Amino acid sequence: MSGSPKTLIFSVLLAASALATPAYADPSMPQELTDALAGKYKGTTVTAFGAFADADEVKFNQNIKAFEELTGIDIQYASSKQFEATIATRVDAGNTPDLVDFPQPGLMGNFSKTGKLVDLESVLGADYLKAQYQPSWLDMGTKPGPDGKPTLVGIWERVNVKSLVWYPKKPFDEAGYKVPSNWDEMVALEKQIIDDGDTPWCIGIESGAATGWPATDWLEEMMLRTTSVADYDAWTSGELKFASPQVKKAAEQVGAIFLGDGMVYGGTKAIVSTSFGDAPSPMFADPPKCWLHKQGNFITSFFPKDRDLKPGVDYGFFYLPGIDPAYGRPVLVGGDIWSMFNDRPEVRAVMAWFARGEHLKTWLASGGTVSPHSDAELSWYGNDIDRGAAEILANATAVRFDGSDLMPGEVGAGSFWKEMTAWISGSEDLDTALQNIDASWPKN
Amino acid sequence: MARLSKSPRARFSLATPMLILLCVLWLIPTLGLLISSFRSPDDVRNSGWWTIFPHRAWQVVEVIKPDATADRSGTMSFAGASGTFEQLRNGIETDDGRRVTWVGNRRLGTVRVEERRWTMTAHLTLDNYANVLTGKQYEITHEDGAKETLRGDDLSGAFLNSLAVTLPSVLLPLMVAAFAAYGFAWVRFPGRRLIFSIVVALMVVPLQVSLVPVLSDYVQLGLNGTYLAVWLAHAGFGLPLAIYLLYNFIASLPRELLEAATVDGASHLKIFRSIILPLAGPALASYAIFQFLWVWNDYLVSLIFIGSQPNVQVLTMRLAEIVGSRGNDWHLLTAGAFISMILPLAVFFSLQRYFVRGLTAGAVKS
Repeated sequence: MSGSPKTLIFSVLLAASALATPAYADPSMPQELTDALAGKYKGTTVTAFGAFADADEVKFNQNIKAFEELTGIDIQYASSKQFEATIATRVDAGNTPDLVDFPQPGLMGNFSKTGKLVDLESVLGADYLKAQYQPSWLDMGTKPGPDGKPTLVGIWERVNVKSLVWYPKKPFDEAGYKVPSNWDEMVALEKQIIDDGDTPWCIGIESGAATGWPATDWLEEMMLRTTSVADYDAWTSGELKFASPQVKKAAEQVGAIFLGDGMVYGGTKAIVSTSFGDAPSPMFADPPKCWLHKQGNFITSFFPKDRDLKPGVDYGFFYLPGIDPAYGRPVLVGGDIWSMFNDRPEVRAVMAWFARGEHLKTWLASGGTVSPHSDAELSWYGNDIDRGAAEILANATAVRFDGSDLMPGEVGAGSFWKEMTAWISGSEDLDTALQNIDASWPKN
Repeated sequence: MARLSKSPRARFSLATPMLILLCVLWLIPTLGLLISSFRSPDDVRNSGWWTIFPHRAWQVVEVIKPDATADRSGTMSFAGASGTFEQLRNGIETDDGRRVTWVGNRRLGTVRVEERRWTMTAHLTLDNYANVLTGKQYEITHEDGAKETLRGDDLSGAFLNSLAVTLPSVLLPLMVAAFAAYGFAWVRFPGRRLIFSIVVALMVVPLQVSLVPVLSDYVQLGLNGTYLAVWLAHAGFGLPLAIYLLYNFIASLPRELLEAATVDGASHLKIFRSIILPLAGPALASYAIFQFLWVWNDYLVSLIFIGSQPNVQVLTMRLAEIVGSRGNDWHLLTAGAFISMILPLAVFFSLQRYFVRGLTAGAVKS
């Protein structure tokens, strides 16, 4: 061992954790990562580009610090609020970052089709990746390559668990409400709240040009709960039409809540005019004006800031129960995914490092993210919210990615949002809305 | 002169109130933003910015705990108002000007008695500005459980970057355009009209279409991510308008002046320096304001050409990022926007007399 004391410590740590987690004993670890940990790529630079900024960026940079110090590889991460527009321009002009973190896999698919992305299976090894991720994650990172063949081009950085229902815990308990564990209890809870003279749900789908996306999440949740995952996959890939009975049935489930009498605070008018970030705040009024809010784990950053709201005391969450027991406990997720544009040994090393849950440790401890990596342990999480979301994810019978992000941009970031909004606001009936979405699906 | 001054004054009496009305209408949203920048996010969410002014609003004077055993399905009476639960939830106004409202649910709620009183919600705070100026705080927990608070970047770096981008991006096209305008106006050379037409026609080319080709050139030249790249880009995009504007002004200068100078043996350079530049002051200043405001407020050009380098980010990019990954810190935007407006406002007010004069530059031939 000729390494510095730091390398020695790190090797000891690696060895120690190898005892705790079998994943470390993995002989398939890419040579580049081993070399990098030995300091072979000292002085090299890897550029990374992504959409996460601000607090997330700070946490990420803290995350990679130890790796940078150890390997001498400088990882330069830059973020952009206009990620989608910027990345296309940069790639077209040849100013390509080494690694790109896509906020959704749909856009990554475009670059895979044009052959800009490196096949990760061939550079990192299939065995290594299989040891780091459950098969469903690898499936969700696989996109058609330039020759149309499915290619693994993305590995997941972090996950946002969407199937969560938030509630104001303290008044909720005082009112004697119980967290529902199945759909019947869920319906009973809604009825109990209405009988008490309140409205059960806080819902807001306004989001500027993206108005309607929270409603598409709802439809995706209901799809997973009222039909098979095979149908869900067919739906997101365009084989199952929006106007089909399966999708319509799911939409009617959404309608039962969105359009139901006295179900949503402010009624349909408030749904379409309330920003998704403001939607949960009536829940924290004293007394609460509405009691339930379905949204991913990121929503806590939008909770009112003037009071120091504590998870587990002032608010809690539960899994939005399944409707038909035949479809188990499906979980809807969003997330972002790393892909590799330039193939150099040090880039491979960093990518191999990102495939390990341990690279997220500081972020997990600081809160605000959930790891999709197989080696991530629940004890690494710094707060109960993230840990709970990770548990829900671990106990899921099926994990599916946000459908609108998988659909072509014209639909997933266009007509799907718009038509859902039109239907909820009452300017269109459900059949028209669903047919309009079908009609907007690009033909080729 | 006496006859002339009569009619404008008559129109003036009507124009003034209209102008004032328009100014007020235009300024109200800005005033709202300014006030919002001094309010906490939860205040902004819960009440309008105008509530910081004195107004009449319902205020709680008494809270009644309803009898726990009473039946709540029928009509109930509190403080002189009676109605069903639903009616009470909406509030019942009594004859003596009070309002009785059931707050909370049927089982656990209380009854509030309110009166209309003068009030104002003047909880103004400097927190937004402090946050923007000194940088946001992030709490990091390390693997070993140690907590650390980090401060994000403040605006000062971005402010200096913006200055470093803007000043050369204004001076460069200004200088080139002044030379070019003089050349087109007073130097005879073949193809003069054609070249001038091409330059003016370039004004209609949207800069968006040239982003990718220019960027790929920059990448090949190794210029991408440097200040020089943005300077050149801004200069290039600004030149056609600058040349056109200055040409009209310089071409309208009296021919005799220049002829006299030529007769005296002055070279083109000498004429330009001693005659054109001093006379074209207002036109130069007015173009400088245009270009300054455009470059200072530009987001797209900087994003594309220096966006990949975090340490040279300009103010507009910092502003876009200040709201957080998902827009959760939207309340900081107002404060950030007002800070970023300080310099353009200062520039505008210090140069505005040229601006008004320069607007008509070249518009009328004397």
